[in-house]
Amino acid sequence: MTGSNSERSGERNDPPGGESLIRVRGLTRDYRLIKKREGVAGGLIDLVRPRKHTLRAVDDVSFDIAPGEMVGYIGANGAGKSTTIKMLTGILTPTAGEVSVGGLVPWKKRQQYTRNVGVVFGQRTQLWWDLAVVESFGLLKKIYEVPDDVFAAQMKTFNDLLSIDEFLHQPVRKLSLGQRMRCDLAAALLHRPRVLFLDEPTIGLDVVGKENVREFLREIRDRAGVTVILTTHDLGDIEKLCRRVIIIDKGKVHFDGDLEALRLRTGSPVRLSVELRDPVASARLAEVTAQLPVRWQEAEGLQHVAEFRRQDVSGAQVIETLVNGCKVSDLHLAEPAIDEIVASIYRDPGKESE
Amino acid sequence: MSDASTRDRGFFGETIRQGRIFVWYFAQFVKMRLAYRTDFVIDALAVMFSALVQLAVLLTLFNKVEALKGWSFEQVLFIYGFSLVPLGLFNLCAVNLYRFADAFIIEGRFDRVLLRPLNTLAQVLLESFNISAFNEMGLGLALMIYAGRKLSLSWGIEEILALMVLAISSSLVYSGVFLAITSVSFWQEDRMGLAPPVYNVIRFSRYPITIFGAPVRFFLTFVLPFAWVAFYPATWFIGSPEFARWAYFTPLVGGIVFGGAVLIWSRGVRNYSSTGS
Repeated sequence: MTGSNSERSGERNDPPGGESLIRVRGLTRDYRLIKKREGVAGGLIDLVRPRKHTLRAVDDVSFDIAPGEMVGYIGANGAGKSTTIKMLTGILTPTAGEVSVGGLVPWKKRQQYTRNVGVVFGQRTQLWWDLAVVESFGLLKKIYEVPDDVFAAQMKTFNDLLSIDEFLHQPVRKLSLGQRMRCDLAAALLHRPRVLFLDEPTIGLDVVGKENVREFLREIRDRAGVTVILTTHDLGDIEKLCRRVIIIDKGKVHFDGDLEALRLRTGSPVRLSVELRDPVASARLAEVTAQLPVRWQEAEGLQHVAEFRRQDVSGAQVIETLVNGCKVSDLHLAEPAIDEIVASIYRDPGKESE
Repeated sequence: MSDASTRDRGFFGETIRQGRIFVWYFAQFVKMRLAYRTDFVIDALAVMFSALVQLAVLLTLFNKVEALKGWSFEQVLFIYGFSLVPLGLFNLCAVNLYRFADAFIIEGRFDRVLLRPLNTLAQVLLESFNISAFNEMGLGLALMIYAGRKLSLSWGIEEILALMVLAISSSLVYSGVFLAITSVSFWQEDRMGLAPPVYNVIRFSRYPITIFGAPVRFFLTFVLPFAWVAFYPATWFIGSPEFARWAYFTPLVGGIVFGGAVLIWSRGVRNYSSTGS
């Protein structure tokens, strides 16, 4: 983070075309599960001849991530997000496929690899439950051999951005979830990793807590150029932080690209809310926009909502037609929310289901 | 990506570095434990109580009989005293082994262990300590000194060195056996069903094994080698030449058992499949 800008900026002058920092090819992970039989007799049979079946949690996933990118990795529960992160962090060994992070293979030379990455699991802390925050950081400083000056600079940054000095002397178990998450983020960045993996960093946080975390992540992305992969259920995180998203479903990559491209591709409708001066039925408005591919929701009175697709017609065209055709007092144009987009991807027919 | 300059200290350099960190772990832990003084006192009392109960069993036994298959009360007491020292050393670090399946595998704390640039086994063994195990060792030493005096055993440099080497070797036998059992959790997430019965076998190992029949003796020597945690090494001190010769093999047995367990552990780590999706 602070103090690391100079050395990092040199590395980020990538050749045109972009060199990837994280390279994933054909990543696959199977879990072998035992299907339990019922009853005591079944239990005995299980002992002798267990019914094993294989669950493919991650299936042939490939992507590249350039230095300094912040990528959202999203998917439903059980889609394979955490399994992917665990393979990228070296916790799990894949069944097949290759991963290279800055030239290192995560599950080989584990100790060396962990020095280069930071990891935050929203569900559980990486800190010592009973130690005071300041002692935890002291221990991490020793473990990662962080030089004194870097440590001081890092702690200053964390105090400025996360105000962790407010609870430095409390044991981790006494922290609120929001405070704990701030500590976990700081702890993961203390040794200035080039890559940060965040698994559900805002889970369980209230609105203010979420906003704090997002604000901090934006700062470190801009200041330190840390490369971040972020999994989340809260699509607000993605919308506020990431330009690029990778959507995974049933272990496979369904989409990898710009958030904007995603909006276009799924063709989720844009929503135009209209407030009129005089009450009318929606059928009247449909007449006004009869020439345009716009659909009005059934309604009476002053408030109406129209839906249309950006590919079919521009917002300006719809608004112009409407203002010319009737007396409008207020207008509001809403982009499709990202969770609707994701939901529509999941509904996408033609994908195999269980 | 890798800063080779600070990393290439070689195996020994790195071991020393990590050793220092774990000394720090220990210091932190003691500091933290002392903050909960009542817990600390209760733990200490519990350990003393269970040791004293076992001692009472010995005393009762020798109230009825003069000797046990030729072993005097003082000799048996010495063997028991010796057994407490390696057991204490083992118990000091074994806290996390007992709860490994629950706390590390099922709860997923092992993820964190894998994310740190430190040896995995050292992290598990040296992150939590049972400080009251010092009481166990203290009681053991006291019994050995008391029984030793009755047996007119003189404590010279040689005896003290032997005690250190043998106690550490014996604690490696304990650690190896329980580490191997614990490592099974990497494959089988069910609670460690094996540990309690095996732990009970320790009790047998505190008596001179000649009181048992040949099959039990064989079992305790070669299968579940708990004869090496008290009987064989202790006989080196109390002058029973027939078995004292066996005592010299204690470090070898400790090394083999613990080394084998570390191999099982490493295979388990590779097999670790974490929790959740």
